[in-house]
Amino acid sequence: MPDPVIEHRDPSPATADPAMDESRAEPTLVEADLLVEDVSIDGMCGVY
Amino acid sequence: MTLVAAERPTPLRLVDQFQLGLDAPICLTWELTYACNLACVHCLSSSGRRDPNELSTAECKRLIDEFERMQIFYVNIGGGEPTIRSDFWELVDYATAHHVGVKFSTNGSRITPEVAQRLASSDYVDVQISLDGATPEVNDAVRGAGSFDTAVRAMERMAAAGFVGFKLSVVITRQNVSQLDAFQALADRYRAQLRLTRLRPSGRGADVWDELHPTAEQQRTLYEWLLAHGEQVLTGDSFFHLAGYGESLPGLNLCGAGRVVCLVDPVGDVYACPFAIHDEFLAGNVRSPGGFDRVWKSSALFCDLRRPETGGACASCGSYDACRGGCMAAKFFTGLPLDGPDPECVLGHGEPRLAAVGDTIPPRPSPDHSRRPRGPAAPVAVALLPRRPNRAGDEHPLAAAGAAHHPH
Amino acid sequence: MPPTVPTGTTDFDPSLPWALHPQVSLRPESFGALAYHFGTRRLSFLKSPTLLAVVSSLATQPTGRDACTAAGVAADELPTYERALATLAESGMICERSAS
Repeated sequence: MPDPVIEHRDPSPATADPAMDESRAEPTLVEADLLVEDVSIDGMCGVY
Repeated sequence: MTLVAAERPTPLRLVDQFQLGLDAPICLTWELTYACNLACVHCLSSSGRRDPNELSTAECKRLIDEFERMQIFYVNIGGGEPTIRSDFWELVDYATAHHVGVKFSTNGSRITPEVAQRLASSDYVDVQISLDGATPEVNDAVRGAGSFDTAVRAMERMAAAGFVGFKLSVVITRQNVSQLDAFQALADRYRAQLRLTRLRPSGRGADVWDELHPTAEQQRTLYEWLLAHGEQVLTGDSFFHLAGYGESLPGLNLCGAGRVVCLVDPVGDVYACPFAIHDEFLAGNVRSPGGFDRVWKSSALFCDLRRPETGGACASCGSYDACRGGCMAAKFFTGLPLDGPDPECVLGHGEPRLAAVGDTIPPRPSPDHSRRPRGPAAPVAVALLPRRPNRAGDEHPLAAAGAAHHPH
Repeated sequence: MPPTVPTGTTDFDPSLPWALHPQVSLRPESFGALAYHFGTRRLSFLKSPTLLAVVSSLATQPTGRDACTAAGVAADELPTYERALATLAESGMICERSAS
């Protein structure tokens, strides 16, 4: 039985992501990309 | 368990996080003036005449102070033609001195050699030169006689001043899809980076949309070309509706309006997006108590846009997760419901919806600062200029650019 | 083509002192932080408040690894956070600190 998780961030939107099942999160297998994501500043719609 | 255990759930994907909105925009478009020396047929802001109620220099500086406090990373200054404002450089300098990066969009008419030098020596100012044809014939039909020459002259000066990597920004139309390689060649010639963006039926674009928006076949051509040219061409994510074809283009593939970006217009009105200048997408005004910050954080419109999307009529489509139902502004100004397909839906779902709209006049963009009053909502014929008889038969854009050079 | 800008090191060593690059603006968010590099114009999305704490404290900690443990990173999470720092180093967001 997984330890209770203290939810510290805002509640997830209605579309629940099954990957958020804490019991499946193996930290050593988690990719660094999970914590840092790069975006082009030109890569969002709504700006010239 | 320790504090860290609470973070072991997979963080939200970037795109999902952004859909929920942020406490401040990442960047935004700031239209500095509705005045413009050109009269492009598709102008998204219906610009031409200065609005008598424009923000003053002092008000602009107070707004920049807000941007700094909110840690907005940069602003894209446009208009109209922003360099026409007499305080343009004062405001650019004020912004960069206050930790707000600046990129400005221009038709190039005020890019003198001295200006180009000044820009080349600044680390915090980027420039975007607008051009909608790789030849004068195609460009000037949309942007006016002489505008191709003006833009190329500006690019020559930027290159001569050593500014590498300024942007050449093109709105894709039915008439210039055949010139994609030529645009790339133009950008390469002046050591600029090519940027392609989507035409919307916004502003005066509503009048020429039927005639100028790419055909379905041309959209496919553009998509294939963008996939092939990958990272070197910018798009401002404006083609995220093409993700419905299968593979997503580089970018966030989401509509940032009211969530991570927005528009501030010359009189301080805050809109969700520069393509959505209409009361329907007006969130508030920076002159109100609480300024821009309160509008961004608390306006009813933006709070509404930040609620999770359900897809509406698109929810059952397998492509919805990729295309997110397309562009809000494109739907609105073609009279389509916002919870249904984009008029240019690549799967063709927009077609029957457009047919259902029929002859009903779609919402009219407002306000209108065009110098020539717009007529009733009828399509405006966009005629290509006739071939100039004294020009060699060569239509190659570099030959045209060479002929446009004015030694000084 | 955009100008080639040095994008930082690909050899991240957590036993060295590190710091946020002076041209980077770090903006805390509920999910972690946004980091924008004014020189490279790259935007990084830090998806963990703990990672924000790590990055914020880099300049005052003797090594990258010390910054992680000081921020509460458990031993079995160190590789993940050090890989995150390596990603930030590669994009130039953080840089090696000269001994002061």
